[in-house]
Amino acid sequence: MIRNSDCRRFSLRTAKALALLAILAVFLAQSALAQNAAAAANAGANGASPYPSSDTDTRSYDKHDLSGLWSRNPAQFKLPACPECREHGPVPGYGYHGNTPARTPEGEKRFQANKPSRGFDLGSKDANAHPEVDIGMRRAVPPARGNDPQAACNPLGATRLVTFSGGGASMEMIQLKDRLFQRFEWTWDHREIWMDGRKLPNVADYLPRYNGYSIAKWDGDTLVVTTTGFDDRAWVDHYGYPISDQMVLEERYKRISPNRLQLDMTITDPVIYKGPWHGDTKVWALIPKESMTVGGWSGLLEDRCIPTDESLFNKFRDVAGGKR
Amino acid sequence: MRTLLARALGLCVGLLLICAPIGAHHGSAISYDTAHLWTTWATVTEFNYLNPHPSMTFDRVVQDGKVEHWVSELLTNPSELARAGWTKGRSVEALKPGTKVKLFIGTSRVGGFSGIVMKLENEKGENIVGLRDNVKAVDKDGVPGGLQPSPEEIKEAENDKK
Repeated sequence: MIRNSDCRRFSLRTAKALALLAILAVFLAQSALAQNAAAAANAGANGASPYPSSDTDTRSYDKHDLSGLWSRNPAQFKLPACPECREHGPVPGYGYHGNTPARTPEGEKRFQANKPSRGFDLGSKDANAHPEVDIGMRRAVPPARGNDPQAACNPLGATRLVTFSGGGASMEMIQLKDRLFQRFEWTWDHREIWMDGRKLPNVADYLPRYNGYSIAKWDGDTLVVTTTGFDDRAWVDHYGYPISDQMVLEERYKRISPNRLQLDMTITDPVIYKGPWHGDTKVWALIPKESMTVGGWSGLLEDRCIPTDESLFNKFRDVAGGKR
Repeated sequence: MRTLLARALGLCVGLLLICAPIGAHHGSAISYDTAHLWTTWATVTEFNYLNPHPSMTFDRVVQDGKVEHWVSELLTNPSELARAGWTKGRSVEALKPGTKVKLFIGTSRVGGFSGIVMKLENEKGENIVGLRDNVKAVDKDGVPGGLQPSPEEIKEAENDKK
């Protein structure tokens, strides 16, 4: 005879087992994502994210409208997590990633001159334990000993703005008939992408710009953005990969579902790299403006890098780096 | 059962959040030993709610009665703090000079009175000016120097600088 108390105990045990299974499933999923990430490096430019979409919204939407506030960490706005939005690179942190091409002699010289503070510490156990990771992500030095341009609030440049945006700091796209504006919370920077049919400028005739000169056209439901005329003082990302003023950047933006924006990037820079460099696919989640608020005011924060503030911060930083 | 499942779900979400990458602007954590955190009571002497990361100086009284003057930065940057409700005015008020706080801190890898603050608590034990709850640290309140790196670790950090 089965008593009610037995049933209650059984239900409790079942519930506990289910809960544990749920936790295990989440961890296995995370682990599988991480493993897939390593295997699927250089998934960029293939036109499809290697990670399943977590967007459950089935409403119809305009695939040619990229406007909105976009984040790669919607959980910070108390929205459902987006596992495919997270960075899946070989080291923790946001970056361009993908399969880094071999560098030219000039590229190597400039690569060695850059001293980043991201990735595995130079000479550390982690750095030595992961020889499969490109050396660019295994050479971090304390900021006090580095020369990251942002440590003096110099502009980040387009590739770094795009690849950093989304984890903490967010990005906004404003699409007009003839152009697309991209706004970036961190450093409060922006770029304009012309969609009026103009041609790219002859770089030699114009001043180089940190965010370059961008034009775009639709290829089916993918907006293909081409950018030239870069200022070669920018880094590709915060790992200190160099660029030249001859770099051409192709970005392929696709709104793959109502609440997901996907990007594949390709760098072609024969001065620095011996072949094209496809970055890892990036995915952003659409954030309703009502969710992105501080004190009831919605939208991006004015998250500037201010030289006087940075200078004060660097005094603290330098003590930690043993410089003072 | 519903409560249990809700708790399990909550735990899953919490774990996902903890595992999410931290969007620090400046790669600052590399300068500190964040693998060996420790706690101490301290008195705030200066607090700057500024980009790229807030900075703070504080005093701590150690066992022999001496006062140590420390410098530190907070891991969490102002935009993250603001989004979590720790706006400038609220944070500055919570950490005005003279305020007693419990710090969860990692010492500079080259040693000395310099650290990165991962979490702060007020005298009521409330988590203030930060986002992180689950920070494990050893108690070093009153211990001179707090938790300092070993000579070997300092040597390793010094080598990294070359």
